[in-house]
Amino acid sequence: MTEGNDERHTVQPQVQLLLDLEHVSKIYGDVHALDDVSLQVNEGQWLAVVGSSGSGKTTLMNILGCMDTPSQGSVRLSGKALEDMSQSQLTDIRKDVIGLVFQKFYLVPHLTALENVMVAQYYHSVVDQDQAMRALERVGLVDRSHHLPSELSGGEQQRVCIARALINEPKLILADEPTGNLDEANEKLVLELFQQLHEQGTTLIVVTHDALVASCAQREIMLSHGQLVGEHWNDDHAHQAYLAAGGRSALADVSGGIPVDLLTEDLPVGFTGSVEEGVPRSISQQ
Amino acid sequence: MKKNTKVTTSGNTRMFFRMVYGALFRRRSRALMAVLASAVGAATLFCLAAVCIAVPAQMNQEMRAYGANLVVAPIERGDHARRDIDNAMVEHTTEMVTAKSSARHACYRYENVRINNASYLMAGIDPSQVHALNQHWNVTGHWPSPGKILVGRDLADNLGVSIGSTVEARFLREDSQEPKVAGQWQKDQIIGAANYQIAGIVDTGGAEDKIVYATLADMEHVTHLKRGTDVIEYSSSAVGPELAAIADSINEMTSMGVRAQTVTKISSADTRIITMLQTLFWMISLVVLVLTLVGVGATITSMVSQRRSEIGLRKALGASAASLASEFFVESGAYGLLGGLVGTGLGYAFAYWLCSSVFGRALIFNWWLGISSVLLSAIIAVIGSIHPVVRASRIDPAVVLREE
Repeated sequence: MTEGNDERHTVQPQVQLLLDLEHVSKIYGDVHALDDVSLQVNEGQWLAVVGSSGSGKTTLMNILGCMDTPSQGSVRLSGKALEDMSQSQLTDIRKDVIGLVFQKFYLVPHLTALENVMVAQYYHSVVDQDQAMRALERVGLVDRSHHLPSELSGGEQQRVCIARALINEPKLILADEPTGNLDEANEKLVLELFQQLHEQGTTLIVVTHDALVASCAQREIMLSHGQLVGEHWNDDHAHQAYLAAGGRSALADVSGGIPVDLLTEDLPVGFTGSVEEGVPRSISQQ
Repeated sequence: MKKNTKVTTSGNTRMFFRMVYGALFRRRSRALMAVLASAVGAATLFCLAAVCIAVPAQMNQEMRAYGANLVVAPIERGDHARRDIDNAMVEHTTEMVTAKSSARHACYRYENVRINNASYLMAGIDPSQVHALNQHWNVTGHWPSPGKILVGRDLADNLGVSIGSTVEARFLREDSQEPKVAGQWQKDQIIGAANYQIAGIVDTGGAEDKIVYATLADMEHVTHLKRGTDVIEYSSSAVGPELAAIADSINEMTSMGVRAQTVTKISSADTRIITMLQTLFWMISLVVLVLTLVGVGATITSMVSQRRSEIGLRKALGASAASLASEFFVESGAYGLLGGLVGTGLGYAFAYWLCSSVFGRALIFNWWLGISSVLLSAIIAVIGSIHPVVRASRIDPAVVLREE
């Protein structure tokens, strides 16, 4: 996946942190859905989160999306500590800063494609039908704008979901398995849309099982049993810029301060096939 | 994608109603359930309330058809001089009786006449007034008309006459002084005489069975005398204390020279039956109201629970609890309004059929009741949705992302 790396020269020299997680844990009884995860994500970064089922990906997404709060640790979004915020403030952050894309689309079934996009405007600020139509145009669905979700294909529904996510121009788009229910052609369409958003400076965090989807991101991290067990950069320029701006490796704490990802440049994308009992080869070799 | 500054919040209002419209009309099968639940409740409530209001009114009307509940007669003096009520006083008394409630009335002028030399009491009446007041009278044949009289059953039997027979009535000077009891033998100068055909025979089982009823004009013709009325009978819609108050107000005006007396037997029976019926119907209405609330509440609870993921999504998109609640309350209210409209129509149709079949009378649509029924349906739907909506507004938005 080095072919596309040359095209990913969009990282700015002055990197600003959008997300900063420090020792975040989410504990349900005896289960650690997330276990001491530290992670920094700078603005404009495209990050892929990979891991098997139950690894804590969705829990991480919920916390990043202000829909859940950590049991321990700190999460800062644009410098603001989320754990200090009330539900109302978290709701405001969610609608002002974050765009959500789901595997199962979650479109309101009795609203048309256009209205589904306008719903996000409605809860955000002011409804503007022309703007919503332009968002649909961007995802190639103008002619399907007045169709109900049941009248759209899976790919079309996902594109409506993306139009809804980007309508309020969020700083951060969180996508949970965005291509999980799509065929190859629609997967390609969605990835192209993500690429466009990334080029425009939108921060993307994509949870995926798909190696191809993960490889499109600048950076990949891997979760296993709630722990952050691997990191891989697909875009060297972005990586260097990140480090130069003071960005910290996700595995810095895990590996005693050594930037483990530098040792794992040859890890297969998505780390599939290189994990031993949930731990990537690079770490098991330490 | 810069925001159009010209866009106003009216766009949000339109969007709000677009969402409600979508929920109502694009989820027809589910919306139909809620509308049906409301409609059944509204139909039952409207029907009961309409009957609850109409039945006592009908009962009152029916009771009034069974005769007078207020009788007004001249005050008698010790000199045995004959007293009557002139037309002006009849009008004045009637105005007093009808001031606070509707009433029908009939005037009676009584004279003794001789038929086959026996003395009988003749009542000069306006047949239409008396007929309207005494619809329970069992009349065979016809009511009096010029030249034709209505005689009581006992009197007809005594005289051995039947419908179509002709009798001669004579009015004597002695009889003009003061009415005497029927059947007294008198010899005196004849003032007037006339032949009357018997148009009908009345059988009430009461005093009416011994009286001859003629038109007032015929009585004036045979007596050669025009004078006021002896008794005014009223059938007032007022009952109980209200009726007594009317009688008291007349009796306090001693200068009128008349005395009013309530016919307590029919009034109290009327009141008691109406009160019992009203209490029964209102109790049933209350039970139906509670059952409707439970039914609508259960239906909306079911609908809200089916939309948990949608609610979670809306919260994930930034919807506040208040915003969600307002959407669902308006939606529920709309279900209630639609159901209320349909139910009120059905309820009226059923109540109409009920009144037609039981009372034989058409039920006039009560607009106030109709509007109240529709509004109450909407309110019940909103109240029924409070609990599920409050629960729904607490849904953790993370549920929509929880499936891995």
